[in-house]
Amino acid sequence: MQSNQESSSMEVDVATSEQKVLPPKPKFEPLKPHEMSSGQVQFRKVSVPPHRYTPLKKAWMDIYTPVYEQMKVDLRMNLKARKVELKTRHDTPDISNLQKCADFVHAFMLGFDVIDAIALLRLDELYVESFEIKDVKTLRGDHLSRAIGRLSGKGGKTKFAIENASKTRIVIADTKIHILGSFANIKIARDSLCYLIMGSPAGKVYSKLRAVSARLAERF
Amino acid sequence: MATTTDAGVEALNRLKEIDPPSLLAPNPALSQTARTASQYLFSSLRPFSQKSPLDQLLVDGYDAEQIWHQIDIQSQPLLSTLRRRLKQLVNNPEEISKLKAPSDVANKAEPKNNQDEWEEEESDGFDEELDEGDEDVDEDEEGVEKEEGKGEEEGNEDEDEEDEESAEEDEEEKGEGVGIEDKFFKINELNAFLKKEEVDKGEQDSEDDDMLDEAGDFEMEEDDDDEDEEEEELEEEEEEEEEEEEEEEGKEKTRYDDLSGDKVKKNKTPSTHEKQLEKLQSKIAQMEKANVEPKTWTMQGEVTAAKRPTNSALEVDLDFEHNVRPTPVITEEVTASLEDMIQKRIIEGIFNDVQRAPKLPSKAPREVKELDDNKSKQGLAELYEQEYVQKIDPTSAPLSFKDELKNEASMLFKRLCLKLDALSHFNFAPKPVIEDMSFQTNVPALAMEEIAPVAVSDAAMLAPEEVFDGKGDVKEETELTQAERKRRRANKKRKFKAEEVKRSEKKAPVNAVSSQVNG
Repeated sequence: MQSNQESSSMEVDVATSEQKVLPPKPKFEPLKPHEMSSGQVQFRKVSVPPHRYTPLKKAWMDIYTPVYEQMKVDLRMNLKARKVELKTRHDTPDISNLQKCADFVHAFMLGFDVIDAIALLRLDELYVESFEIKDVKTLRGDHLSRAIGRLSGKGGKTKFAIENASKTRIVIADTKIHILGSFANIKIARDSLCYLIMGSPAGKVYSKLRAVSARLAERF
Repeated sequence: MATTTDAGVEALNRLKEIDPPSLLAPNPALSQTARTASQYLFSSLRPFSQKSPLDQLLVDGYDAEQIWHQIDIQSQPLLSTLRRRLKQLVNNPEEISKLKAPSDVANKAEPKNNQDEWEEEESDGFDEELDEGDEDVDEDEEGVEKEEGKGEEEGNEDEDEEDEESAEEDEEEKGEGVGIEDKFFKINELNAFLKKEEVDKGEQDSEDDDMLDEAGDFEMEEDDDDEDEEEEELEEEEEEEEEEEEEEEGKEKTRYDDLSGDKVKKNKTPSTHEKQLEKLQSKIAQMEKANVEPKTWTMQGEVTAAKRPTNSALEVDLDFEHNVRPTPVITEEVTASLEDMIQKRIIEGIFNDVQRAPKLPSKAPREVKELDDNKSKQGLAELYEQEYVQKIDPTSAPLSFKDELKNEASMLFKRLCLKLDALSHFNFAPKPVIEDMSFQTNVPALAMEEIAPVAVSDAAMLAPEEVFDGKGDVKEETELTQAERKRRRANKKRKFKAEEVKRSEKKAPVNAVSSQVNG
């Protein structure tokens, strides 16, 4: 019946006179995380690698406070399973909060600092990208060690230079590299790191970085 | 007649004795002498020239030309008869022996003839003194430098003549010196002459002259030795004279016998014109021959080494184009001039130093972002926060990356500059304008400007139109008219009502839904 009416409503002249008054469209508020999946609680579990155990212990309160207070997500450490567990509360405003907190904790586990990882909570569009050295170039033995050395630089200055120029945070864990930042900045950092892996000297990478950062700064 | 003869001979002798340079200047005494001598010669030749209209040479008050012409009138037919006689003798050599009976008349006539001819030459010489005088000298001596003596007027022909004459004179003198015996001498002379004729057919002129002279010789040799000297001279003169006259005759002949060709020419001495023509023709022949022949290698275009004889390029002056300026030869003057210039420049202080062109600050120097090698003190969150804030609110942008110390220093310096400028009261020169893009906010200008002007101003940074974004005539409450006030109130009411409706609509469906649910 409604379809007929709809088809008839195409004809402008006829529609207005014959149309029934439809009920107004329903407006639903977005579901709270608690109500999702028919009222069951949402969980996230993040495993803790052994080398981050002690730093987690040290920085637990720094992690816990923003998660619980601001994100309104429950947080606990499962010592037996060596996992951090997150849970929505009834007053968690948004389902994405849970995911954000999980990402935050995961970033910490990868090796980022709390203050850097906190940005994940605050900004929507930050991502963590991970790749390995062997993805870029197959290196073995001494070459690999040298590549890692090249990436960090003396006292880490190359890494810091890249971080500062591209507004990202980089973690070099043996052969794994993690980059935290916005999409474009991750690209800049990744390109620089790839050049370094492939063998270009640091000076060259610096000059490229300078050019890039100048361009970035000009945009505003 | 004897007195005149004596006078004539005397005159001749006198003429013979004079030195040639004195002939250069016109001398009336000498002229008189010459005239007398000419007269004498003329009259001595008179018996032989039957056809001549003149009995005596008229010299008083006559011009040299006129005298010469008189002589010419006499001598022309005389010469032709002599020639005829000579031809006869040539054809019939036996007659020569018959000639041996010398007639005194003939003898006398001959010397007279000779003398006359000589005199004629003398008269000629007065027109062309140089030539004749020199001729005489040459004849007296053995003719050494005749070319110098000869005038250009007479041309090359005369030179040839004289050469011939000298040869002939030598011959004659030699011949005369050998023997006096008639027949023997004659035969010898004849033989010599015949040989010569066989050898040089081209010089028939000279041969003719020789023959003539020898004919004269034959006649004269039997004479006294007294006359020998004279005769020598006279003979020599005669030769010349005859040659000259032959020349004239030759000329005449060419005039009449032009068409007869070279043969006729060759028979006699060629005239000036003929000689010129000959020369031209020889030149032409030469040039034609050269044209026909293959050219020398220097005249051909591109010549490789194979096409020219070996080492021939060494002998020829080759012309090269030098594209390089020849190196300057350093002489003392050059060095001196250079040193002078250097000293002058040093004194004046004008040097050709290269000065760097001033670079104008065309565009704002980009802020060079230095890469910080150290670990950043701000966390990532703070970093992005700052970025965000900068995007939203430009004024609260923090200072660009510089050392804090640097900032402090720059602030202090600016304050100092301000104070110093204030001392000069409005007379400070502003910094050069560099175009710099920046956001202007509507903040009191005082707050933004770093160098505060002495006069404090309340002016805002933004212009009024930049602040106000409305359109139309904006009026205050007090300015409004009644109608406008009403209009404003009506608009306000309308807006309020619209909002009310919206709000009620919002509430209504919710209530409806809830009622439905409940129901």
